[in-house]
Amino acid sequence: MSVLLGKVCSLILEEHFGEIVSKVGTDLFQWGPKPLALVASSTKLSIDKVKQSLCVLLQYGLATFAPGKSGRVAEYTIQTEKIFSLLRYPRYLYLIKSKFGVEAETLVEEFLRVGFDSASRLIVKAATRLQESQKGSDNASAYLSTLRDKFVSLVNKQFLMRCPSPTPVDEEKGEKPTGIPNLTVSKTQLHLPPTLNMKALTQLLEGEVADAGDEGVYWRVNFDRFHQDFRDQIMVAAIARRIDDNASEIFQLLLQLMYIRTDPWVRVSNPIPYSELRDTLRKKDPQSPILPHLDQYLKIIEEDSSGFITRVGDSGGGQFCINMHKSFEALTWTCIENIIVERFGSKAARIFRLVKDRRFIEQEKIQQIAMIPAREAKQLTYRLMHENFLQLQELRKTMATNAGPNKTFFLFHIDLEEVARMILDLSYKALYNAMNRRDFETNENRRLIEKKNRIHSIALSLQAQGAPAEQLQEIEEMMAPPEVDLFNKVMRRVQKLSEAELHLEETIFLMQLFLSYNMQ
Amino acid sequence: MAMATRVKQEPVSPTSSSSRELCSPPPALNSSITTSDYEQRILLLLQGSTKPISDKEIQNEIPNLSPQERAEAINSLLKQGSLEIFKQGDKLVYKYKEPSSSSNIKGADNEEKIVYSIIEKAGNKGIWIRDLRYESNLIVVTLQKILKNLENKKIIKAVKSVSASKKKVYMLYSLEPDSSVTGGAWYNDQDFESEFVDVLNQQCFRFLHQKKEAVKNCKDGPIAAQNMASASSKDVWKYISELGISKVQLSVQDMETILNTLVYDGKAERTVLADGNHMYRAIESLLPPPGIVRTPCGVCPVFNQCSDIGSINPKKCVYMTEWLE
Ligand code: SF4
Repeated sequence: MSVLLGKVCSLILEEHFGEIVSKVGTDLFQWGPKPLALVASSTKLSIDKVKQSLCVLLQYGLATFAPGKSGRVAEYTIQTEKIFSLLRYPRYLYLIKSKFGVEAETLVEEFLRVGFDSASRLIVKAATRLQESQKGSDNASAYLSTLRDKFVSLVNKQFLMRCPSPTPVDEEKGEKPTGIPNLTVSKTQLHLPPTLNMKALTQLLEGEVADAGDEGVYWRVNFDRFHQDFRDQIMVAAIARRIDDNASEIFQLLLQLMYIRTDPWVRVSNPIPYSELRDTLRKKDPQSPILPHLDQYLKIIEEDSSGFITRVGDSGGGQFCINMHKSFEALTWTCIENIIVERFGSKAARIFRLVKDRRFIEQEKIQQIAMIPAREAKQLTYRLMHENFLQLQELRKTMATNAGPNKTFFLFHIDLEEVARMILDLSYKALYNAMNRRDFETNENRRLIEKKNRIHSIALSLQAQGAPAEQLQEIEEMMAPPEVDLFNKVMRRVQKLSEAELHLEETIFLMQLFLSYNMQ
Repeated sequence: MAMATRVKQEPVSPTSSSSRELCSPPPALNSSITTSDYEQRILLLLQGSTKPISDKEIQNEIPNLSPQERAEAINSLLKQGSLEIFKQGDKLVYKYKEPSSSSNIKGADNEEKIVYSIIEKAGNKGIWIRDLRYESNLIVVTLQKILKNLENKKIIKAVKSVSASKKKVYMLYSLEPDSSVTGGAWYNDQDFESEFVDVLNQQCFRFLHQKKEAVKNCKDGPIAAQNMASASSKDVWKYISELGISKVQLSVQDMETILNTLVYDGKAERTVLADGNHMYRAIESLLPPPGIVRTPCGVCPVFNQCSDIGSINPKKCVYMTEWLE
């Protein structure tokens, strides 16, 4: 794996959990699975500190453990792709908020904060938080039943899942206790909502001891489910751009019908009958303007060059498969083409698409078909090659007899997977740079930010004591106007960099998704 | 089949040249020379076959020809240049050859004739001097002298090729160069008219885009709308011709060339109709510009030189600073 990935990961860990955890994580990244003692020796940290760090990593699902070769010692493995989840927290929350409302958002937020927890404890925490944030609301217990319902629906929709728990060693079967817990959870229990005792919840909220009936059962966020939604959003938005909103609505429905019969992460969905699609649409809105043109829309989506769906049979008005893998191939092409437009201009993108279309092509042909002056075309082509977007292949053609010298052809072509990897690396580096710059901006102005925070908290506490307005004003004026200006400027910069990080994360998401489909 | 290797051919004697005008279309049969019936029949036989024919086969086809007469007839044909001899294995085989009009250059020597015939063969695509050298086996100096000579006599001409700026190709004087040499409508005196192409590219896109916009509120269903938004190359050709932006006459073929650049720009999609004609339609990219190019690093010219240490680093980066302002 790339060096850049390692750098980004340690930086992300450092931002969220501090230097020591980051050091342990980086060590695991560099060496692969290894036991506690070895981590301690190579990081030169005390065993205690390493233990704590590993605990943190395990708690947030960023590392896993399994028995090593000897079977006696646990070895720890870092989960790099999970580390990127840390960057997506704002997106997760936004998704939940728009789908399930504020209460659900608070629940998920609490989960993200603690990693995993029992349902009852978490609901109580969320209720307290909600009460605090909504000033003036009387009673936290009023939220309890809503929170419980939301919890259940989050589990039902698989946004939350049950944590595996240790299975006792079965000595009858000849298993020996190893001291390494074996964590399992049965498939049926994974998304089985908990039954909670409301009365006990209320008691817990009031600080009493009670049993809500879920002792020892822990839950956590199912990131894959969120990613599935992100993935679907990308596709639906793409269809809306390419065709129109009606087509994207149909596609959304197709996705829904796909999940009834297909595992969400396979490359190609099982066939979805036309009749079922029509009935679902009719049930949703009998007056829908799409209904009379449904078959036409399907034909258009099918015939589009992006290849999102294919027609696979004619029974029941036709059957359709969603091509996940192919769709993301098309999207990855588009993404790379767009990057080329911005970096090297539209003529370079024209050359890139031409090479993609012809698979193998000579320089002479490129300028001819792309209608770009020979000199410019050559420059652009070599630039693309230099930046690894194009590859050059040499083809020697030996002439049978004496007819002149042997000819050598130089053919350009594209290795999409290679390019995607390169873009991924590029994004890692850009992300790393943006994060670094953000750190730098805050560090440079640390004194200023601290001053502002101090003043702010003094003002808050005075306000709480009912201080007069003039006094508050006086406090605020402890910051000179140029200082205030500078502070705002720094904040704006930090904000802009954070946004850039989110944008980068989107590109990373797309590329990682494509590569994972490719590896399936 | 064993490769046929050419055997040395008897040079055509200059006396056999007729007083035909230069550059007239090559005669199918050199009628000015009396040809015996047998010769005619052998010629027909050879013309009718794509493969070389052996002595034996001639004998089978024309049985009443004595070996002596056969040899005479073949020799005579060989002299006229309408026959070629190859060696296949240890047998001799014959093949029909377009009589070259090289025999028509007055007062030319053999080398000139060879050069002339090679150039003639290259047709209106012309031949590059290097290839000419390989084929004629002449040394550069001689070849250049011959070419100069032929050029001066207005027998051949040199045409600048568009594929490489210093490349000249030679062809017969009377020929109109092929568009692959001149570049067709897109070249003005060997210069590629890149602005002209760009303008056409934009205009074509405007045309397709307008069509697409016009059907935004079409009520007849999506397929009808899509069909109405599509245009054939002929439609576009008509539109562009009426705009009158082009001084040169463009063909429908030229229009397709331009439309294809739109396809490679990702701005149009091409569909093939049942009758083989192409339809073009404006399309929208599947994705907005990706996140990475909205950050300075995504479009940074010194990206590869940038690192934590050294003078190009994210902390001091001027691109970042500018972008953050
Ligand atoms: S930090 Fe600056 S110099 Fe480095 S890659 Fe980004 S834009 Fe370029």
